Amino acid sequence: MSENVLHIDHLTMRFGGVVAVNDLSMDINRGEIVALIGPNGAGKTTAFNMVTGVYTPTSGKITLMGQDITGRRPDEITKLGIARTFQNIRLFSSMTVFENVLTARHLRRTSNFLSATFRLNAAEEKRMRQETEALLKEVGLFELRDEMATSLPYGKQRLLEIARALSTQPKVLLLDEPAAGMNPQETEELGAFIKLIKDKFDLTVFLIEHHMNLVMDISDRIYVIDFGKQIAQGTPSEVQNDPAVIAAYLGVDEEEEVSPA
Amino acid sequence: MTDMKKKKLDSATVISIVIVLALYVAVFIAEQFIPATSMLFTVIKKGATYALVAVSMNLLNGFTGIFSLGQAGFMLIGAYVYGIFTIPVVSRMDVYQYYNGGLVQFTLPVFVAMLLSGLAAAFLALLIGLPVLRLKSDYLAIATLGFAEIIRALFQWDKLGPITNGSNMLRLFPNFNDFNIRNANGDVVVYLSTLVPLLIAGVCIFVIILLINSTYGRALRSIKDDEIAAEAMGIRLASHKRLAFCISSFFAGVGGAMLAMYQTTVQAKSFTTAMTYEILLIVVIGGIGSVTGSCLSSFLFVACSEWWLRFLDQKQVIGDFEVPLLRNGFRLVVFSIIIMIVVLFFRQGIMGRKELPDLIRQLQGKKVGGGASK
Amino acid sequence: MWNTVFPYLLSGISVGGQYALIAIGYTMVYGILRLINFAHGDVFMVAGIIMVYMAASGVPLWLCIPLVLVLTALIGFVIERVAYKPLRTAPRMSAMISAIGVSYTLQNLVLYVTGGLNQIYPTIPWISDSVTIFGATTKMVTVITPILTIVLVVALVALINHTKIGMAMRAVSRDFETSQLMGIKINRVISTTFVIGTFLAGVASVLYFTNYTTVIQTSGAMPGLKAFVAAVFGGIGSIPGAVVGAFIIGIAENIIKGLDIILFKAGIISGPMGLATFSDAFTFALLIIILAVKPTGLFGEKITDKV
Repeated sequence: MSENVLHIDHLTMRFGGVVAVNDLSMDINRGEIVALIGPNGAGKTTAFNMVTGVYTPTSGKITLMGQDITGRRPDEITKLGIARTFQNIRLFSSMTVFENVLTARHLRRTSNFLSATFRLNAAEEKRMRQETEALLKEVGLFELRDEMATSLPYGKQRLLEIARALSTQPKVLLLDEPAAGMNPQETEELGAFIKLIKDKFDLTVFLIEHHMNLVMDISDRIYVIDFGKQIAQGTPSEVQNDPAVIAAYLGVDEEEEVSPA
Repeated sequence: MTDMKKKKLDSATVISIVIVLALYVAVFIAEQFIPATSMLFTVIKKGATYALVAVSMNLLNGFTGIFSLGQAGFMLIGAYVYGIFTIPVVSRMDVYQYYNGGLVQFTLPVFVAMLLSGLAAAFLALLIGLPVLRLKSDYLAIATLGFAEIIRALFQWDKLGPITNGSNMLRLFPNFNDFNIRNANGDVVVYLSTLVPLLIAGVCIFVIILLINSTYGRALRSIKDDEIAAEAMGIRLASHKRLAFCISSFFAGVGGAMLAMYQTTVQAKSFTTAMTYEILLIVVIGGIGSVTGSCLSSFLFVACSEWWLRFLDQKQVIGDFEVPLLRNGFRLVVFSIIIMIVVLFFRQGIMGRKELPDLIRQLQGKKVGGGASK
Repeated sequence: MWNTVFPYLLSGISVGGQYALIAIGYTMVYGILRLINFAHGDVFMVAGIIMVYMAASGVPLWLCIPLVLVLTALIGFVIERVAYKPLRTAPRMSAMISAIGVSYTLQNLVLYVTGGLNQIYPTIPWISDSVTIFGATTKMVTVITPILTIVLVVALVALINHTKIGMAMRAVSRDFETSQLMGIKINRVISTTFVIGTFLAGVASVLYFTNYTTVIQTSGAMPGLKAFVAAVFGGIGSIPGAVVGAFIIGIAENIIKGLDIILFKAGIISGPMGLATFSDAFTFALLIIILAVKPTGLFGEKITDKV
C-alpha cells in the first residue's frame, strides 16, 4: 500500500433536511488518479466543497497527509496543498492569462504589503514571474499569455484553470468536471494532459467527471456515489461491471453518459 | 497600467512619467507668473485633494470590489486630526473659545500631522473593518455609510469639545498658503501653495499605483473578479480586504487633511453622505478601476463646478436676449444630467479600466492588455 | 417620569409610522430587485415639494393630496423605467450607483427650483390641529399616523397575499429568473412595486411634513436612510419586519432626543450630556449591531450563495 495523501472519513453534509453527502469515506494515495462519479445531484461537488473548505461538514473528518483539515478555511487548505478547478469556470476576468497564473503564486509570498508596494521584494517578484512563465510553457499557454483570460476559447479556459491551480504548488489537484463542454478530441487530449502534469508535478489527482471514457481511461480507482452515499468503488473495470453501479447510474443514463457528444 | 510586463519600464510608462513630471514643472512655472488669485490654482488645489480621495475610493470600489460609502467619515477623521494638532498654541484660546483653549496644548509639524491623519483614519478602519467587511455588497455599503454618520455625530458631541471643539469650527491651522516661501518682510519669494498639494497627492497616488501593481494588488483585483476563486487560490479574503480598507482609509485621511488645508476651516457637519456620493460619482465618471480616470475626472469635476460652469448659475444676457433657465443651481442640474448619462449609457466612464500608459500604447499601435470589457 | 417620557414616546410612534411607510418601499424593491433604492428618500422629499408648489398655485388642499400621491407614484414609475430598467442585467453595483445618481439629480433639481430655501409646508386642516392626549399636547397627525400606517399595511399585505399581482410579486422576489420563465410579466411586477412603494412614501410625506412644516432638498436624505435601516433591521424583504423596525427606530430616536431631560429628571445625570447629538447616529449603531449579530434582520430569511 502506497502513501496515503487524502483521507476522507465518514463525511456527512446536511442542508436543512437534505442529506447531500451521507457517510462518505475515501482514501487517495500518492500519485493516484481517483475519480468520484455519480448521477447529477449525487453530491459530488458538495464533497469537493467540503474537502476544499467551502463547506464545513456536518460530521466526519478530512485528513491531508496526516493533518486534520476539517472545517479549515479554503485559503488555508490551498496553502496546505490542495488546489482546485471549478465546474463553472471561474477565471479572474479583468486579468490576462499570465496574471491569472501569477496571482495564484501570491500565497507562496514571503513579502508583506509594504515591502511589496515599495518593491523591496524585487527578487521574489522576478522569481514568481519566471516560474509563471515556465509553468505557462509547460502547459502550452505561453503564446497566449497576454490575452485576456475570458477571451480564450472554452477549452483553453479550462486548461488555464488547471494551470492556475498548479501555480499554487499543490500536492493534490481537485478537478471539478474538467472535460465539461469539451468535444471527444479535446477530452482525449485532456486525459493525456492530466496524466502528464500528474507525473511532471508529482501530483495526486482527484476528479469529478461525467465523460466516462475519460474517467475509465485515466483513473486508477473510482468511487461511485448516488444520493450522497457510496454505492461502489474499485478499478475502472470493477466499477463498470458492478451491478449496483449499472442499476443506479450507467444503466439509466448509459447512452447519454458513456458516449458524450 | 494593468501590469508592467517586463522588469524594465516600457516606453509607454516612461512617456507617462515624463508627461506627469512636465505637468508639475508647468504648474510650478505658472504659479510664479500668474496671480495667485487665479481660479486655475483653486481648481488644482481642490482637484488634487479630490483626486487623492477618489483614487483611494477607487482602490476599494474599483480594484478590490468592496463597495464602501464611508469615505466622508475617514476624511473627517483626517481633517480633524490635522486641525487639532496643527493649530498654533497661541491661537488655541481663540479657536476653543468655549472650551477654555482645549485640551491639546502643543503643535505638530504639518507633515507629521498629515501622516497622523492618515494613520488615525487607517486605525479606525481597522476597528470598523472587523464587523463590516464580512458583510455582502449592499449591506457593506450601508454599514460603512452608517459608520461615517456615527463619526460625524461623535465629533459634534459637546462632551468631546475640549478636543474636537464640538459643533464649532476648527480654524487658524496652517493651510496651503503657508507652503509659500517668504522673505523677512513677509513677501512671497517662491510660490509653492499649489505645487505642494499637487505633490502630496501625486506621491500618495504613486504609492497606490505601486500597491495596485504589486503582488498584493493582483490579489485584491482577483478578489474583485471572483471572491470564491481568489479564496481557492489561497488568498485570505479577510486579511486582504482589511488591508485594502485600511490603506484606502489612510489616504482618505490624508485627503481629509488636505481638504482642511484647502478650506482653511473644518466643521464636522459638512462631512455628509452627500460628500461621499460626490466622490463616488467622480470615480464612476472617471472609470471604476482606473487611477488615471479618477484623477482626470476629479480635476474636470472641480474645474466645472468651481470655474467653467459657474456661468450657468448666473443670469446671462447676450445682446438683448436673456438666456433662459440660468440661475442659481442650474450648474448642478446640468451636472446631474451628465452624471446620469454616464451612469446609464457610458458605464465605462472616461477611461474604463485603462490607464495613461495604455492610452499611449494604443497611440503607438500596440495591443492593450487590460482593455475595457463589457 | 411618565409625563416626561410620554411626549417623546408619542412623537416616536408617529415618526415611526412615517418611517414605516417609507421603509415598505425600500423593502419591497430590495425584495424584488436586490437594489437599495437610494433615491427613495428623495422621492419622499419631492412629494413634499410638489405639495408646497401645488398648494401655492391655488389648487384646493382636498385635491392636492390625491394629486400629490398620484404624481409621486408616477415619479416612482418613471425613475424605475429610466434609471433602473436599463441596468437590470448589469452588475449590482451599477444599479446602486444609478440610484445614488438619481438621488443626486432629484436633490439638485429641487435645489434649482426652490433656490435652496426652506419651503413652508401648507397647513392641512384637521390633521394639523392640536390635540391633547394623556396630558401631552400634539398635532392630530401624531395620532393619525400610526393608525393610518397599520391600515395601509394591512391593506398591502392583503393585496400581496390575495391578488394575482401580489402572487406575482411574491414569485418574483423568490426567484427572478424562474418566474420570468413561468410567464410572469417582470416589468409590470417591478413597476407595480415601485408605484406602491412611492405611493406610500407620498402618504408618508404628507404626514411627515405636516409635522415638521418645512421642506428643503436634503429633507429626504435622513428619513430615507433611517427607513432603510428600519427595513434592514426588520429583515429586508419582509413588510411586517420593516414596520416593526421603523417603529422601534422612530421611538428610540425620539427618546434619545429627550434623553438628557429624561435622565436629568430621573436623577441619573446632573447636567446636560448633549446626548441628543446621537439621535441620528443611534439608528446607524443599531444597524451595525444587527448586521453583525443577525445580518438577516429580525424577520429575514437566510440566503446561501452557491458555489
